[in-house]
Amino acid sequence: MSTSKRLTKYAMYYKGPIFLGLFFLTAAVFTELAGPFIAKYIIDEHMTIGKIEVEPIAWLLCLYLILAIATAILRYFMYIYLQMGANRVVQKLRKDVFGHIQTLPIQYFDHLPAGKIVARVTNDTEAVRNLYVQVLSNFATSFISIAGVYMALFILNWKMALIALVMIPIVYLWMILYRKYASQYNEVIRTKIADINAMINESIQGMTIIQAFRREKQMTNEFDEMNEEHYAYGRKLLFLDSATSFNLVNTLRLIMFTIFIIYFGTQSLTAVEIVSAGTLYAFVDYLTKLFNPITNVVNQFSQLERSLVAGKRVFEVLDLTGEKVSQETMPRYEGNVVFKDVSFAYKDDEYVLKHLSFEAKRGETVALVGHTGSGKSSIMNLLFRFYDPSKGNILIDGIDITAMPRQTIRQHMGIVLQDPYLFTGTIASNVSLNDPRITREKVEEALKAVGAERVLGHLEKGIDEPVIEKGSTLSSGQRQLISFARALAFDPAILILDEATSNIDTETEEIIQHAMDVLKKGRTTFIIAHRLSTIKNADRILVLDRGIIKEQGTHDELLAQGGIYNQMYQMQAKSLQV
Amino acid sequence: MFDVLGKLGWFFRQYWKQYTIAIILLLIATLLEVVPPYLLGSIIDIITAGEMTKAVLGQYILIFAAIIVFGYFLNFFWQYRLFEGALNLEKLMRRKLMRQFLKMTPTFYEKNRTGDLMARATNDLNAVSLTAGFGIMTLMDSTLFLGSIIFAMGFMISWKLTFFAMLPVPIMAVLIQYLGKLVHERYMKAQDAFGELNDNVLESVAGVRVIRAYVQECKDEKNFADMSEEVYKKNMHTAKINALFGPITKIGTGISFVVALGYGAFLVSNGEMTVGQLVTFNVYLGLAVWPIFAIGELINVMQQGNASLDRVQGTLNYKADVQNTNDPIVMKSPSTIGFDDLMFQYPTSQVKNLQQISLSLKKGETLGIVGKTGAGKTTFLRQLLREYPIEEGQLNIGGIDIASQTKEQILDWIGYVPQDHVLFSRTIRENILFGKEDATEADLMKAIHLAYFEKDLENLPMGLETLVGEKGVSLSGGQKQRVSIARALIKDPEILILDDSLSAVDAKTETRIIQNIQSERNGKTTIITTHRLSGVQHADQIIVLDEGQITEQGTHEELLRQNGWYKEQFDRQQLEGGAS
Repeated sequence: MSTSKRLTKYAMYYKGPIFLGLFFLTAAVFTELAGPFIAKYIIDEHMTIGKIEVEPIAWLLCLYLILAIATAILRYFMYIYLQMGANRVVQKLRKDVFGHIQTLPIQYFDHLPAGKIVARVTNDTEAVRNLYVQVLSNFATSFISIAGVYMALFILNWKMALIALVMIPIVYLWMILYRKYASQYNEVIRTKIADINAMINESIQGMTIIQAFRREKQMTNEFDEMNEEHYAYGRKLLFLDSATSFNLVNTLRLIMFTIFIIYFGTQSLTAVEIVSAGTLYAFVDYLTKLFNPITNVVNQFSQLERSLVAGKRVFEVLDLTGEKVSQETMPRYEGNVVFKDVSFAYKDDEYVLKHLSFEAKRGETVALVGHTGSGKSSIMNLLFRFYDPSKGNILIDGIDITAMPRQTIRQHMGIVLQDPYLFTGTIASNVSLNDPRITREKVEEALKAVGAERVLGHLEKGIDEPVIEKGSTLSSGQRQLISFARALAFDPAILILDEATSNIDTETEEIIQHAMDVLKKGRTTFIIAHRLSTIKNADRILVLDRGIIKEQGTHDELLAQGGIYNQMYQMQAKSLQV
Repeated sequence: MFDVLGKLGWFFRQYWKQYTIAIILLLIATLLEVVPPYLLGSIIDIITAGEMTKAVLGQYILIFAAIIVFGYFLNFFWQYRLFEGALNLEKLMRRKLMRQFLKMTPTFYEKNRTGDLMARATNDLNAVSLTAGFGIMTLMDSTLFLGSIIFAMGFMISWKLTFFAMLPVPIMAVLIQYLGKLVHERYMKAQDAFGELNDNVLESVAGVRVIRAYVQECKDEKNFADMSEEVYKKNMHTAKINALFGPITKIGTGISFVVALGYGAFLVSNGEMTVGQLVTFNVYLGLAVWPIFAIGELINVMQQGNASLDRVQGTLNYKADVQNTNDPIVMKSPSTIGFDDLMFQYPTSQVKNLQQISLSLKKGETLGIVGKTGAGKTTFLRQLLREYPIEEGQLNIGGIDIASQTKEQILDWIGYVPQDHVLFSRTIRENILFGKEDATEADLMKAIHLAYFEKDLENLPMGLETLVGEKGVSLSGGQKQRVSIARALIKDPEILILDDSLSAVDAKTETRIIQNIQSERNGKTTIITTHRLSGVQHADQIIVLDEGQITEQGTHEELLRQNGWYKEQFDRQQLEGGAS
């Protein structure tokens, strides 16, 4: 289905207010177009030199004013209802997109920058909003007005009205041509300005580098080039606009008047038909009214283009296959995890995990060790069902995890990410995620249990201390502890912990170590480990290399084996000793 | 309100010819606009009187044809010229802003958030350029055009009629202006709500793993629904005022027409006016609607343009914090680097960030800087980059105070690898060449080799031509760090500065890179800060910073013997060593 068709379909969700708006609009056009008829009547019937009939004129003028007021009121409601409909439609579209991205596989988020995904939900739908609010309501108003004007013209004088119809193909042709060129120029202008702004933004972010490497000149040149190109296309569009647009509408109007003069002038020469002054007046009035809507339509073209492109992008997201968020629950499982001959590739045949088999019993701690790219994070992704294995199975308590909805499986899992993500809110809301099951007491308990009070205690408002964007006012240690408390509060059966590589001072380090011990208790825990102290305490260590488990066992066992683990350990130790 | 035009005086003076032509043409076009309605009126009179002859008709048609052709070109030229001015202004200001941004040092960026600066370069710039085109047009329309319509109505038809018919105009103008302000306020609120919605979505997307892991999808959706309802309400709140503009104009002009028709009928019956003139008059009334709106537009454009220009100008007027001296000392290559009792405090800081820093580094030596987070390691390095003016003490390169050398000269010697890896939205090749524009292919490959990036390169979809950054693939932290090391190494700088640049690569890779740097940079100075002590133990000198002061100083062995923080840290890392 085309974008415009789908947008129409969306509009139908709120056809109530939209049709009501269109009804008011039609009524308003009629009341408005009745005006010149009254004027014609006054001119023809009651305006004679030498005598004045006050009473009928006063009545007719009253009617004129009442019609004007009626038009005003109708227009008011028309606007309100059309806006109501349009805004509701977009709200629905927005909610649908947002709801839909919640169902999309995590892959989608891994491949696109966050800013782009956000733009689909907000900016692109905002452009679609402009389509409904501005473009479509203007189009509707204009078309109904134009139709109304022609009706009035036909009532007044069908021959002249017929001639006036010539305007329609002319205007139509012009619109097509104008749109063709203008949309090209607009496209360039739009992308250029986006590039320019992106460049300014990036330059500000990377200013130290630009200055340190003295690349100001290069940046200036590149910037000027884009700026000039933007300017050049701006001028092209301006040229087109000056030549057509308002100017052309104005010219067409004058041409129409000339035709009017020729027609009625020759009529009066041959005197076949006597034209009344009132008719002439009404004609001039209607012809003037004919051209305003045309200008309005032309002015909407660039927005129309922008909105359709944006709409297309929005529908592209909606067309991606998602997986429904399941509400199904299950009782807490024991947490016996088995990987059975699991292989996994993010794309095609590039396997990052190859025939992996291992087991973690309830309450055990398994440390994953290996270089970047060895597959540590992929194991985490699979266990959490962010991705599913390409081959083999993962079992929890003997049940294949792909047999259950993702949400159900995750209910009893907890995660602590390497760079813990905090949401805007308070410390408490970051622990509970505003989940009603997590009471305030639970939050306090969890924070206390992980020893956060030692680190967060000095904060003025305690656990109600506001957290801003990404928790940037908190230290990495503080963020880490909050995310520990979060995991603890949700009391998962299986816990996955991506240890932070970044160096934290000794004191915080101790607290975090303690927090980890608290957290691990009674849970099956997987740790992507970087610290020796963490690894040493693990029940089992898996040494990964390019997707294969090279060695497994306890710290001492592995050292005794004298394999890769031992080598890694020795090399580290040696590099620190001279 | 019209201050903005005065403040843009330099611009109008620069383009005075263009503006003079545009305004003169606009003036003529305006006067021309008044003619057709008058002609229409007189033709109607001729026709209704039955006095039409072929000659008269031919004359009128000719006049109309002339007006159409002449008017078309006039309108084209003034429009093109006038709005070209706006484009020129926009381009010029954007250029100025970019040049200014490129001149500014970190102090400026600490005082101004990126979002605010971006707003200057986009919204404010638009508002300013609007004044130079649309602003001038509305100024002309609301004064000259409105004036000529009123004069045409008065002189050619009737002053009395004009007076009474125009009575609703001032009321309308005031009302529109008032509502305009109201709409603006409400619109801003709607924008704020939209902004909040945007931030909220950003968090949901960035934190998607957390939301999914804790099964918060439904709650998140509900939260979004609430916010979108808020946006809806704010939009409708604005719409309620916006909806009034059309109706007010309708009633206002309706009253004018009623007056014109009623009083006009009286005048016609008196013989003071013809029917044709009444038609002309009504057309004029219709023409007057836009200029009345233009008054409101003019006020808005000028006010917003003024405020925006002040903001942009404020940014442009900011003087760079670090200025070059007037007669700088030129030096070929740096020999020693010396700190002499240097003290430094960030402009926004309450405490001294560096104190009593004294040390000297010979050419070819390696300096290692270690210490806790926030001890002043990066601050130390930033002194060399001339990012801030030096307050007390001295920093000299080659025995000469850096304040008496140009910033450019110093930066030419330095290759800098920052802590937060900054890459640009370009290919990897272009990012590395950022360090040295005219590097050869061999230089490039060497830098990549030294930075231990070859293997990674193989795994990238397009190799060296892979686009990185916002538009391209996202590299891992370690990969970004190594690209940024390659960028510094390709320059083969006299002084290499590594600011904790290996934190995201594993120990093995770190050792290799350090070895590469050591062997490659024989005879050249290197300064390294790090958390992992293994990265500096080969250094000729190591300093330990704590709260901006040097607490320990010496070689690795010396420091171990001192039994201080360094030793403690070393022992701990020794224990921790194993893993990644």
